[in-house]
Amino acid sequence: MTVTMPAEAPATGGIAAEVAAACAGIEGTAPERVLGAVRSGDGASAAGLRDLAIGEAAALVAVEPGYSRVAARLLAARIRDETAEAGVRSFAGSVAAAHAEGLLADAPAAFAAANAAALDALIDQGADDRFGYFGLRTLYDRYLLRHPRTRLVLERPQHFFLRVAVGLSDTVDEAAELYRLLSTLSYLPSSPTLFNSAARRPQLSSCFLLDSPQDELEAIYERYGQVARLSKYAGGIGISWTRVRSRGSLIRGTNGHSNGIVPWLRTLDASVAAVNQGGRRKGAACVYLEPWHADVEEFLELRDNTGEDARRTHNLNLANWIPDEFMRRVEADATWSLFDPKEVPELTDLWGDAFDDAYRAAEKEGRYVRQIPARKLYGRMMRTLAETGNGWMTFKDAANRACNQTAEPGRTVHLSNLCTEILEVTGEKEAAVCNLGSVNLAAHVSPAGIDWERLRATVRTAVRFLDRTIDRGFYPTPEAETANRKWRPVGLGVMGLADVFFTLRLPFDSAEARELSTRIAEEIALAAYAASADLAEAHGPLPAYAETRTARGQLHIDHFPDAAPTRPAEWDALRARIAEVGLRNSLLIAIAPTATIASITGCYECIEPQVSNLFKRETLSGEFLQINGYLVEDLKSLGLWNDAVREAIKRANGSIQGLVDLPGEMLDLYRTAWELPQKALIDLAAARTPYIDQAHSLNLFMETPTIGKLSSMYAYAWRSGLKTTYYLRSRPATRIAQTTVAAAVCSLENPETCEACQ
Amino acid sequence: MPLLDPGMDLTLRPMRYPDFYERYRAAIRNTWTVEEVDLASDLADLARLTPAELHLVNRLVAFFATGDSIVANNLVLNLYKHVNAPEARLYLSRQLFEEAVHVQFYLTLLDTYLPDQDERARAFAAIEHIPSIRAKAEFCFRWIDSLGALDELRTAADRRAFLLNLICFAACIEGLFFYGAFAYVYWLRSRGLLNGLASGTNWVFRDESMHMEFAFSVVDTVRAEEPELFDAELTAQVTTMLEEAVEAELAFARDLCGDGLPGMGAGDMRAYLEYVADQRLARLGLPVRYGTANPFAFMELQDVQELSNFFERRVSAYQIGVEGSVSFDEAF
Repeated sequence: MTVTMPAEAPATGGIAAEVAAACAGIEGTAPERVLGAVRSGDGASAAGLRDLAIGEAAALVAVEPGYSRVAARLLAARIRDETAEAGVRSFAGSVAAAHAEGLLADAPAAFAAANAAALDALIDQGADDRFGYFGLRTLYDRYLLRHPRTRLVLERPQHFFLRVAVGLSDTVDEAAELYRLLSTLSYLPSSPTLFNSAARRPQLSSCFLLDSPQDELEAIYERYGQVARLSKYAGGIGISWTRVRSRGSLIRGTNGHSNGIVPWLRTLDASVAAVNQGGRRKGAACVYLEPWHADVEEFLELRDNTGEDARRTHNLNLANWIPDEFMRRVEADATWSLFDPKEVPELTDLWGDAFDDAYRAAEKEGRYVRQIPARKLYGRMMRTLAETGNGWMTFKDAANRACNQTAEPGRTVHLSNLCTEILEVTGEKEAAVCNLGSVNLAAHVSPAGIDWERLRATVRTAVRFLDRTIDRGFYPTPEAETANRKWRPVGLGVMGLADVFFTLRLPFDSAEARELSTRIAEEIALAAYAASADLAEAHGPLPAYAETRTARGQLHIDHFPDAAPTRPAEWDALRARIAEVGLRNSLLIAIAPTATIASITGCYECIEPQVSNLFKRETLSGEFLQINGYLVEDLKSLGLWNDAVREAIKRANGSIQGLVDLPGEMLDLYRTAWELPQKALIDLAAARTPYIDQAHSLNLFMETPTIGKLSSMYAYAWRSGLKTTYYLRSRPATRIAQTTVAAAVCSLENPETCEACQ
Repeated sequence: MPLLDPGMDLTLRPMRYPDFYERYRAAIRNTWTVEEVDLASDLADLARLTPAELHLVNRLVAFFATGDSIVANNLVLNLYKHVNAPEARLYLSRQLFEEAVHVQFYLTLLDTYLPDQDERARAFAAIEHIPSIRAKAEFCFRWIDSLGALDELRTAADRRAFLLNLICFAACIEGLFFYGAFAYVYWLRSRGLLNGLASGTNWVFRDESMHMEFAFSVVDTVRAEEPELFDAELTAQVTTMLEEAVEAELAFARDLCGDGLPGMGAGDMRAYLEYVADQRLARLGLPVRYGTANPFAFMELQDVQELSNFFERRVSAYQIGVEGSVSFDEAF
């Protein structure tokens, strides 16, 4: 791949010097390369020239990953200029400007003014250099506070991190402690906390789970209102619809028949699409339905892009909330009965043996609407997954069995959330809420291994500040506030597991990788519970502590007799301490997808393998190339990082398996999610489960899904004891002709003879 | 029986060209609908474009308004008639549907971008009144008409005329005019503008790529069956045709870009078009004409697999038409 250098006059003066400075010290980058495009933009303003240079550097990332940092430095300069134009020169100045425009609350603004010098001294001047372009661009486009009218940014990236820390702190020392984690990209709270910390309306929670509306008109419309209010403040919504009567059910008030759940979900779909989260991201919701609901087949068609549009919902995500009884019937090739929830309202609130008994009794009494082969419905679920990626498989009994909130009878987890990592009890007056944050594992690993002590320290700080979000947060609905203050759940997760494996050269499906991944989960759980016990000692246990399994002496890990903790003595000590002081939080661990915050930190998402060695991200702020920097380093050390190899990786859609000259160890290490056995992903998740008291967002990948492969895979996931799964990712059946890859056939084995690549 | 022999063959078994049939099936798996494209955010972008950018977008929309209808017309009038294998005609039927979806997409786009009825009418009339668009349309009509008198491809000259028509629509119209238009869309997209247009364009682009590939595989098939058709004169004619197409598209580029926009100008566009034209010649097994390199780094993004974040834009990668039955012992 070559870039033409138009034979126009070279750019001079400011921009040339600036680009040279941005390239300084970054190996493999050359200012001339970036300036090529700038020359063709003659006549643009100085700021316009810099924007061109930023775009050009960003486009060169696939040639040399170092250009990502070059583009980031240029963007940081742009942000500096922009804040200066807005009159912002210090942290205190930034907070004062944002407060004057009504963007920040009075208390944090007063705190920042009172401690201006001390807080300014905390700013790590070199910290911006840790950003890659995509990360900084994401911050700039969507996170940094802007002036309401001029749209100029009012804070620099480090001001932003410190502002987030100040919003959650009582003292300068506390702010310093959290700021250090953020500025070193060691830990990031979830997006709502980043958006809204210190704001006038500090809605800090990521996820809301709403119980199914009761089966009546007023209840359904009341629930639409709750969804809209929650969406407005950047929360993702999970909502069950299992209690609403199915099609053909008699409506006594009018002596008519119900049209079932589809028309209601169409209204929900439109409502979710209408509420745009402050222009920063689109509203999103996932609807959960249990597979005994008689409308389940129509439910599974809601995302099809064929058929009658009046029966489609293009914006809703869909999830199946599956009792074990269904999976057992599938395995036994038995019959499955479909019910109208109006006729059997008891099923929704039952799980485990009680559900099985009630289901079988209702079946025996002939109260079903109709019966179908269980496998037929299961096959339909698999088809929906393959065709839309939606219709996530989540397991009601596994979710309830080990949940710390289900100790008392009648308390049931009715659904998961938008990303299938939160499992909390909901009820008529109780909307479950979760505040999330993720440890960046990439910042805690070196070729020598994990820095366990630092990891534990990060977790302790993270849990303290996650707990703080519960009290500092603004809640859009009273149902959310009541539940969150009573149960105080938080969800600490991770990102960058793939970075750990690359750094330590462990293939994703190796026994060593599974062992390490499990150990990481164990260490995080130990440290998180210990931190929550400390908080309980200081502030008292959570108000509903008496209703938890923990209060009965049961920890999450006790539900998994096969788990083999590596630090049994620490678990014993922790157990004794919790018996004494209790816990401040009913739930502590949930591994969220981390899509945006992993972008900001520049690590791989949560617990996922890489999707490709070379891919692009499409986001609201444009398209960005991402290349596997670990692979590039390896190729460079072999002297193989050249145009021919780059083209070959591009042509192979980011796979390196066709590069025959590479050592087998590299081929193994750099397999993509499409090339890894999915069984390994499920095994890793299953091994981690004893240490995850909520759940994890587990995507599964299959290039060309078939019903046979999918049904085997999801049955295995269920048998392995997973509580939830997330998207099924598949690939397009056809794709565009590549424009910038030479049309002629390239001989990979003999790149020097291949004219196309010269 | 060679593919271009006159007739209306109906025999699918044994199948002579299973590759065409597989292309038909793959196309069905990638069905998309216009309703899936969200153009809402584009309106806010349009309001903040500079006059020069707005001019470019309006011209582009005017070209899109009629472009796919022209391709569909040639498909019905010429290609379907002469490509004599039912599996190939299955593909062409599918392609006709896709062209219809594209027409609908651009109609929806135009209705969304241009709320004023008179402006909409003017966009459709651009083919008469805007010289740079008219010139491209005339180029297309000339090649549609080139086969008008032929009911059957009896002689080698007839078949060469057909090949020129086929290559024109694949390499020059879908493969160059449309690729040029897509480049403007992705240039805007690289600056964070008109994401809705770009996301619909991704799907149109994917379809057009497949149409082009089908046409080229018809050319490959004919070459294997009747190599004598591919003489020096045909090579010269194809090269000349591509040169004309580059010039027509370049005139369009001058009209769109005026004195140049940041990162986009007629000079860059010439290089890009020459680069694309060379790609088409190479795919046809002919010598490249220009030897120009691609100047648009942002086009490189279009070659790389996407990873959509579901909080943002709809994932377009899912498949329609999945096979198999429930089982528990398959490898995964």
